[in-house]
Amino acid sequence: MYNRTETLDTPPCHSLYIPFDCQITAITELTPREKLFRLIRSDGTPLGHLPGQFIQLSLLGWGEAPLSIASSPTRAGYFELGVRRAGQLTTALHRMTVGDTVGVRGPFGRPFDLAALKGEDLLLISGGCGLAPLRSLIQYCEDRPEQFGRITILSGARSPADTLFKEELAQWEASARFACHLTVDTVTDSDCFTGNVGLITSLIPPLTPVPHRTTAVIIGPPVMYRAVIAELKSKGLGSDRIIVSLERQMRCGVGKCGHCTIEHLYCCQDGPVFRLDEIEQLRGAL
Amino acid sequence: MKSLTPLQLEHFLAHLAERYELRVPILLPDGTRTIGSPDDGPLALLGGAVPGKPTAAFFPQQETIFTAIHGRLSQAPPPPKPLFILGFTATDLECLRFIDRFFADGIRDDLYFRLRQGAVVAGISGYCGAKGTLLPPAAGNCDLELFLAGDTWLVIPYSGTGTELAKELPNAATPEEAELFKCSIPTVPDGGETLLQAASALLCADRVPDSFWEELGERCIACTGCNLACPTCTCFGVQDWRSSTGVERSRTWDSCQLDGFMREASGHNPLGSEALRSRRRIHHKLAADPRKWGEISCFRCGRCDAACPTGIGMMAVAADLVARFG
Repeated sequence: MYNRTETLDTPPCHSLYIPFDCQITAITELTPREKLFRLIRSDGTPLGHLPGQFIQLSLLGWGEAPLSIASSPTRAGYFELGVRRAGQLTTALHRMTVGDTVGVRGPFGRPFDLAALKGEDLLLISGGCGLAPLRSLIQYCEDRPEQFGRITILSGARSPADTLFKEELAQWEASARFACHLTVDTVTDSDCFTGNVGLITSLIPPLTPVPHRTTAVIIGPPVMYRAVIAELKSKGLGSDRIIVSLERQMRCGVGKCGHCTIEHLYCCQDGPVFRLDEIEQLRGAL
Repeated sequence: MKSLTPLQLEHFLAHLAERYELRVPILLPDGTRTIGSPDDGPLALLGGAVPGKPTAAFFPQQETIFTAIHGRLSQAPPPPKPLFILGFTATDLECLRFIDRFFADGIRDDLYFRLRQGAVVAGISGYCGAKGTLLPPAAGNCDLELFLAGDTWLVIPYSGTGTELAKELPNAATPEEAELFKCSIPTVPDGGETLLQAASALLCADRVPDSFWEELGERCIACTGCNLACPTCTCFGVQDWRSSTGVERSRTWDSCQLDGFMREASGHNPLGSEALRSRRRIHHKLAADPRKWGEISCFRCGRCDAACPTGIGMMAVAADLVARFG
């Protein structure tokens, strides 16, 4: 495996396809399949991201993969990636250790429109791995509480063992700043789980959002969106008050490779964060 | 406007080779006409558009992004001389104009402009089409154009560079030759353009049922010949190649007709059927691009129709769409 410092020969090259070095400063095992990697740029500069953006992670010999940024820029000095082991590159990444160097390009993509969210009640809904990118916004809300109204977090996972960020979820549940409701799809007798069991949609009926001042954000597996959107619309939320972040297999991150098109939109540049009314009529968006 | 005999043209090209990296229509030993180096085959100006993707001159099928040796990244140095490319037809030049827009938009693609910047593009037209038929003049979209009139190549400059190069040529075109060129410039849209606009309107109005795409998907054998030949297809994949000396990262043309084109790490695939992939190929050029760029991104070069073994190239599909739903 190639795990070497990705530095440039002189003169410095400014190609948009050249990654810069980042060092892994911490690794946390979130589940048996997911790890949280904390990274810093080797040149000491900040990544300069906003909640909702992604990077292209580069491992020499393995290529690149798009990964959502799981931490808020308000947590200065580092950024974090929540990564499921799913293919060759992420398997190679999971084998890496603190102190190793990876390549990064980005940040890319349209972030959450924080100005538009100002003063809004927020309904932040995640399923499975979707909690990783949503965490960047949740942390931002934690750090800038004065900017938002009531914040409700709904998070679903396949099982207790598959639940990401368990400690933070517990903190958010205990925090007066958030209303936080968790659910899992299934439990086994050995899980010792006392929380809600059911699909993420089961958490929505008891809620009483005020439609004209509530914005919902949904991030999760493709199968989740339509069902959650239907529940939110039954609560009176319009498509202009529902925000989604979409997963696509970006190869370049800069609107050139064509792998993330949604009709006329490029998910890597026009998204990955979209207002529902921008994409709900587009074939294949959801 | 200047004129050249075929022999003078050869001398002109040889003269240009001192300042430019020359790419011209050539005949390869296997009988293929392509745009390539004069070192690789004899000049083959007659016969119309070359069958391959002409924009490969600036967006090659495989292109190294960087090499990494002991973890140190380096990019290839820029070409020692700018490119001079001869052989784009009028429709090819429309394609080039379009992908120039595409690669420049938003975040500028430095790999593309590494070759494109400073390149001189010469169109080709006149009675040099298949069996001596007329290739319509581009009348722009290039630095200069070569128009075959009888045994004479007329040289029509458009850009400052083209004008400077034409100044070096001794013979002015006759008024009759100039008139012949002028009369050859199309003044009305051809039937193909009208057909594509009609098909585009149907797609934009969502008047094409899913059953049509299912039929089309049944006929597609995913050979990807359409994408590989299309001058405005710009999709690519990125991959690393490992060797004993290091790693080379490159980008390679990709095809939206392959099942893994959009497959995500989770396994979800927004283009998970032949029907959806066939729709994407047509819809992207005729409906999505007009919405994003304000123009259809097929310029009727005919390469996909010539390449497709099952007869579902762009013009064939457009004709079918209009006949059935128009």
